[in-house]
Amino acid sequence: MTLITRGERTAVPREQPAIPQGRGGAGAYWLYLLPGFILLLVIVLIPLGWNVFLTFQKWRGVRAPEFIGLENWQKLLTDDDFWTSFTNSVWMILAMVVVPTILGLLVAALLFDVIGRKFGGRVGSFLRATYYLPQILPVVVAGIVIGWIVRPDSDGALNQMLGWIGIPAVDWLGQMPSALIVLMVVMVWVQLGYPVVIFMAALQRVDPELYEAAELDGANWVQRFSAITVSIIRPEIFVVTLTCTIAALKVFGPVYVITRGGPAGATLVPAYYAYQEFFTKRNIGYGATIATVLTIVVVIVSIVFIRVQNSMEQKERAGL
Amino acid sequence: MARTNRRTKLLAGLAGLTAAGVALVGCAPSGGDEEDGQSLRLWHYEGADSAMGKAWAEAITIFEEETGATVEFEEKSFEQIQKTASQVLDTDAAPDLMEFNKGNATAGFLASTGLIADISDAVDEYGWADKLAPSLQTTAKYSDDGVMGGDTWYGVPNYGEFVGVYYNKDAFADAGLEIPTTYDEFVDVLDAFVAKGITPLAEAGAEYPLGQLWYQLALREGDRGFVDDYQLYKNPVDWQGPVITSATETLAEYVDKGYIADDVSSIKAEDAGVSFINGTAPIFVSGSWWFGRFVAEATGFDWTMTAFPGADLSLGSSGNLWVVPENAANKELAYEFIDITMRPEIQAIIGNNGGLPVAADPADITDEKSSELIGTFNGILEKDGLAFYPDWPAPGFYDVIVQQLQGLITGVEDVQATNEGLGEAYDEGTADFR
Repeated sequence: MTLITRGERTAVPREQPAIPQGRGGAGAYWLYLLPGFILLLVIVLIPLGWNVFLTFQKWRGVRAPEFIGLENWQKLLTDDDFWTSFTNSVWMILAMVVVPTILGLLVAALLFDVIGRKFGGRVGSFLRATYYLPQILPVVVAGIVIGWIVRPDSDGALNQMLGWIGIPAVDWLGQMPSALIVLMVVMVWVQLGYPVVIFMAALQRVDPELYEAAELDGANWVQRFSAITVSIIRPEIFVVTLTCTIAALKVFGPVYVITRGGPAGATLVPAYYAYQEFFTKRNIGYGATIATVLTIVVVIVSIVFIRVQNSMEQKERAGL
Repeated sequence: MARTNRRTKLLAGLAGLTAAGVALVGCAPSGGDEEDGQSLRLWHYEGADSAMGKAWAEAITIFEEETGATVEFEEKSFEQIQKTASQVLDTDAAPDLMEFNKGNATAGFLASTGLIADISDAVDEYGWADKLAPSLQTTAKYSDDGVMGGDTWYGVPNYGEFVGVYYNKDAFADAGLEIPTTYDEFVDVLDAFVAKGITPLAEAGAEYPLGQLWYQLALREGDRGFVDDYQLYKNPVDWQGPVITSATETLAEYVDKGYIADDVSSIKAEDAGVSFINGTAPIFVSGSWWFGRFVAEATGFDWTMTAFPGADLSLGSSGNLWVVPENAANKELAYEFIDITMRPEIQAIIGNNGGLPVAADPADITDEKSSELIGTFNGILEKDGLAFYPDWPAPGFYDVIVQQLQGLITGVEDVQATNEGLGEAYDEGTADFR
């Protein structure tokens, strides 16, 4: 029996720059970054500034905007539809982040570890592609199909199937909470493929010897999953969680196609609400205010995620 | 090596295509150039098989023959023009002539912003006003603030539309019922169908049909004064008053009594129309825009359409308008085209294909069913009975009506809360015009 002892902890070495410093010095880098900065300025920063400017204006899209101070922001605070839309964002995060990430992790591990081993890589790849299919399906097409499935009367496929077992037809999209639940189920279906593909790619870099060693030590599948799989692919879990959270906050297409925010505004989400204010009511200033709040929330969420990830990586590197 | 070459070629091809695309964008005609008198850029969104689509295709042929100019027609969707017109019309890409939706929030908005031209002189020159009944002119003329019924012509309609009631005559005969001529008879018929286990009214809560029924119920109680207050902002609308309260209460009763299915809140207009076409629902309150479709598709039974029984006022208006963008390069050609669409032969094409022409010679209408429809429409016009549409007064009010009435029929909101929700949005949306 060999006793493995931990070496004395040493200071984490500072990372050396990979690119040698040339004679041009730091100034040369800025030159290369210039095109990127110009694009950032034109595509992101100027529109963002214009958007923030519009939050203090009343504007119908043509003629000059009229300065109204904080009126749009005050309206926002007491606007029930706005708060409903942000509450629905929380449900969207559950449907587009929490459930798909957990399910995706389990499915990826099963495909990689069980299906892949027992039935070969081809079956695993086929199933992975199947899960990914909703991601490449245009949302309008998906929406039409979903609409057909959940039609309220007995023509709807779902209601017909329920009818076979004696359950009466349900007006799925016409009432709460079923409309929101249908939307959430659709989003789980749409989103699931993304984490599965990312996690399966991540699992490729897990050393099989780790699993073998754990198996020899008597670890069962759940223990191997939690101790090895989740631990090693943590960076990918962060990426998936961050990108999906941003997607959930910005979700628009499925709401537009499937429920249009109905019934009675119950499935309203911020992006669709902003769209309504921009394009149908022509309250550009108020639409811009909703969009600005959405942007602020997305930026805060991103910063929090990145900071947490960085701090965890630093701890890991330090061997804590 | 072969693979590398192929990849290089592919990349070169893509680069070439991109460059070509950029070049094409750069060279593409921007429109709105100096007047050349040789081409007319025309946008409209009528389907090629619709009455208006057929009529305007013929108008294009006549126009090209007579003027020697070519028509550069671009097919657009209603949504496309509705959502992007205000941006496009402000640029050199504006067409010379465009179909646009009528009403305060649409054509009125463009008129108030100066994006579409005052065409009053052309109306006088060509004598179009003489061909249009007064209630059709309302939607073509706007005030400086974009409120319809003003003094300045900003558009010309050459067809009309109204909302009435479609009846499945075979279903009525099977149930031993007569087509109703009064509101009481209408309600009796609804009760009789319900008693037989049939939900009589095809409805759609996710789109316009339910809102139109609600407004029709208000029109049953209201008069022209109510319409002027609601549509032309003559006086404030009392959203808890007897007219609107009666409409909202009656609509809620329709659901309670089973005249309307209780699961229509997510149904779209298309589905409601189809349920009439396939004979599921024997009655459908909706617009004349369905007429041509029903002629073609509701062939399994005999049907008819009348104005809403017992109402002096019906939803309806002129059809969409021809508007001339202020930045149009060839305004004179645009006027010539409008004039051709007003000719009897073009109007007859509209009338014989299920549309409602505004200036047709009755002798030219050879189709019996179309004659019946045009007769009903003319009856409404003679009574000055067009009362426009409920969503017109304020931008985005359409969505508000849909949402509020969904709330009502699903029981989320009561009558008072529904009226309150509608009233708040109406007052906010119309504040600019008062």
